[in-house]
Amino acid sequence: MTNPYRPFKAEILSVLPQTGIDFTFRLAADIKVESGQFVEVSLPGVGEAPISVSDFGPGWIEMTIRRVGKLTNVIHTLTPGGSLFIRGPYGKGFPVDRFTGRDLIIAAGGTGLAPVKSIVRRFYKNTAELKSLTLLAGFKSPSDVLFRDEINIWQSCINVQITVDGDDTGEWKGRVGLITKLISGLPKIDVQNTEVIIVGPPVMMKFASQEFFKKGIPEDRVWVSFERKMCCGLGKCGHCKIDDTYVCLEGPVFNYTAAAQLTD
Amino acid sequence: MDINTKKIIKNAYRVTKKRGVTALRIRVPGGRLDVGCLDVIKNIAETFGDGTVHITTRQGFEVPGIPMAKIPQVNEAVAPLLAGMESAIGVEIADLNHGYPAAGTRNVSACIGNSVCTFASYNTTDLARKIERLIYPNDFHVKIAVTGCPNDCIKAHMQDIGVIGMVLPVYDATRCIGCEACVKNCLKVSSGALNMSNYKVKRDHQRCLGCGECVLKCPTSAWTRGEKYYRLVIMGRTGKRNPRLARTFARWISEEAVLKITANMYGFIEKHIDRSLPKEHVGYIVDRAGLPVFREEALQGVGLGPLGRVEDYIPFGGYENR
Amino acid sequence: MGYVLDGQSFDGLLSQLSKEYLIYAPVRISGKGAYSDTDLVAYGQISSLDEIEYNEKSRFSPKELIYPITQTLFYFTEDEYKEPAVSQKSIIIFCRPCDVHAFRRLDEIFLKNGDFRDSYYEAIRRKTVFFILECAGSFENCFCVSMGTNRVEGYAALLRPGEGQVTCDVDEHFAPLFARYGKPAGMTPRFIEENSISVILPEEIDKNIFDHQMWQEYSSRCTACGRCTVSCPTCSCFTMQDIFYEDNPRCGERRRVWASCMVDGFTELAGGHGFRKDNGSRMRFKVMHKIYDFRKRFGYDMCVGCGRCDDVCPEYISFSGCVNKVSSLAGEVKKDD
Repeated sequence: MTNPYRPFKAEILSVLPQTGIDFTFRLAADIKVESGQFVEVSLPGVGEAPISVSDFGPGWIEMTIRRVGKLTNVIHTLTPGGSLFIRGPYGKGFPVDRFTGRDLIIAAGGTGLAPVKSIVRRFYKNTAELKSLTLLAGFKSPSDVLFRDEINIWQSCINVQITVDGDDTGEWKGRVGLITKLISGLPKIDVQNTEVIIVGPPVMMKFASQEFFKKGIPEDRVWVSFERKMCCGLGKCGHCKIDDTYVCLEGPVFNYTAAAQLTD
Repeated sequence: MDINTKKIIKNAYRVTKKRGVTALRIRVPGGRLDVGCLDVIKNIAETFGDGTVHITTRQGFEVPGIPMAKIPQVNEAVAPLLAGMESAIGVEIADLNHGYPAAGTRNVSACIGNSVCTFASYNTTDLARKIERLIYPNDFHVKIAVTGCPNDCIKAHMQDIGVIGMVLPVYDATRCIGCEACVKNCLKVSSGALNMSNYKVKRDHQRCLGCGECVLKCPTSAWTRGEKYYRLVIMGRTGKRNPRLARTFARWISEEAVLKITANMYGFIEKHIDRSLPKEHVGYIVDRAGLPVFREEALQGVGLGPLGRVEDYIPFGGYENR
Repeated sequence: MGYVLDGQSFDGLLSQLSKEYLIYAPVRISGKGAYSDTDLVAYGQISSLDEIEYNEKSRFSPKELIYPITQTLFYFTEDEYKEPAVSQKSIIIFCRPCDVHAFRRLDEIFLKNGDFRDSYYEAIRRKTVFFILECAGSFENCFCVSMGTNRVEGYAALLRPGEGQVTCDVDEHFAPLFARYGKPAGMTPRFIEENSISVILPEEIDKNIFDHQMWQEYSSRCTACGRCTVSCPTCSCFTMQDIFYEDNPRCGERRRVWASCMVDGFTELAGGHGFRKDNGSRMRFKVMHKIYDFRKRFGYDMCVGCGRCDDVCPEYISFSGCVNKVSSLAGEVKKDD
């Protein structure tokens, strides 16, 4: 009998602070990941939590981890050479192949940018794969903006629009306002040929999706990612179940038509 | 009319506003009686009294409007009550046909206890009856009440001896799901003796009141009831000079210890009472003799057990009216 | 094969079985009820027939024997995860027909749902044998007949305790042993065919029922204590807990501990956001799981109708009553369409 709860030790290759409370950890891990999947990350004696994989490549994965509790507080004290324990990846990711040849719009709120980062990285250079790629990202304030360096690079290749809810620095030269404003401001969308990804806090996903529907995007072209409490990632612990759906098994990425049926 | 008032007072009658008319106090140990007794009480009230009864604060009945001349007949009518509520529980009454043999030591009152109440940690009726058996009849002016838990519904804190039920909560960590219902509740309604550590509950025995709330709140029976214990609060009183609430004298003691301390208190009174006075309440005797003396004499021959704790000093409060 | 054993012979049988098995049955634990001077009926190890509490429903189900309330998954030092050793002995559980059906539901979650089998559950489960205690009558709040869990087939043994003796129906594996301790006897199993409570199960549930005001009543009545879920034989949720030893902070354990969807914090994410804050929506979530969404996923209802949830609710909320409300509403909603 194999023990599905047994994690393996993964060395931390680098730690890159994104904001004061979001650090990106690159780990040595030889696992096959799909964009949007998550892993269970743990530190013995401290705890275990599901964390979405923000990027991956041969022999490594990256996770952008926000300091929000006991486990992540300790993880943030770790440095390269140290290690985390992981198991996974778990769940269903984004149907990336389905996006080929289409216009892809990604709307990300706050840390919601992390689970889609690998999609942007994959497509921003290979624009031939997609018809177009648009990234809309909203953050609370300028100091919350994630992946600044990457965004600068992406901007030269694809349409990237960043907005902040409010500017607490007085130095922000970008847009101020909710992400819904960016969506309503988009030029005419080829609704027959567009796929949309929305990831962020529940309220943001709700209003952002409504904004896309106003634009004429059919519900079945919208993809969302759910964040729920998960203790196992294996469909056992029950925390993430909504109706007959286990977010850890059938999600965290859902087509909007399925997501709309889920009443917590 | 020539009536020895001292004598009738000891017979549980009193001098009333109306000359020649008295009222009889009927004891109901533990406040629980067979309803058959109510027929007897009704009959006395209708035959000798004014057809009413007053329910006393000590859970007895007082039958008013009895002509003093009828006392001998009333005493005969009381016999079934003495038999049913005193002899039946083992109290020695020498002569059932002469009414109540003493009235100084008051009825032992009790909350409804664990025969009904979810909070009560023991059968208060049974303990009240055991105490009644131990101390009655007695002329010393003593008030005792027993209550099932620290909610103290019987107002044990207004007594010379108040007995408060305790239970030692026993914790099985393997059954605990960490819902924290006990911890939150203890903080909210009791002493805040519980806290979470490593997802399991730690109990601070120094703060624990033994109220059993944790057991009641626990969904998994991780908390269960261990041994029964008692807390004794003493020397609470009303009255003109210095009313005050009783304070804790001993805690985590056994029923046996409760009974022994109670018996010892009567010895203490016997030894220290000021016989020049018509009567002296035990609280004032303790005030005069000093707590260390009371403590020493009350604890003679008392086994406190491994958990039992007795106060060395009690900062009685209350207020002085002189 | 039928056998009858007197008390002494049965105890001899238990003694023989105990060489190979840990034997559990509902027992009466004196003074361990929540209220003072009351008893607790729960599962415990037995060595004699007298210890089995046959006349009262157990407050807790036998699920804790296979799926412990607190279970250590790993012992660790900073660098190493070590699994705890599992007892080599097999297990015999004396339980009611409904409880056996409940294990089938737990199997569904732990052994089938998703791609992975829960190795901890499986390690004990596959060594478990059920001895069915035949129900002489329906207990209060039972509705097994409505749930189709009143009958059980394919058991190792079925026992009918009587005056000083036990009549048993035993499978081929256990027959030689029972034959050694008892006498052959005719034994036709009897199952409960009627409960005083019956439940009508909704065939389809309209989404409108999820938002229906019927749940508001439970928001004010339910205290989210979780008793219904911990006493439920089919509730399977758990939470992970990592602890370090106070006397050796370099070592510790990863445990899983039962969780309850009725209790605060069940859906709470690190950072504080949570779902189903009000108790009525938790009631709805639990009830729907037991009689609706489990069926959508696995083809049959999760609830086995043991009625323990109703037995233990301090607020006198009736699960079966709630199911019947849902069903009558489901009918109404359908008509409205």
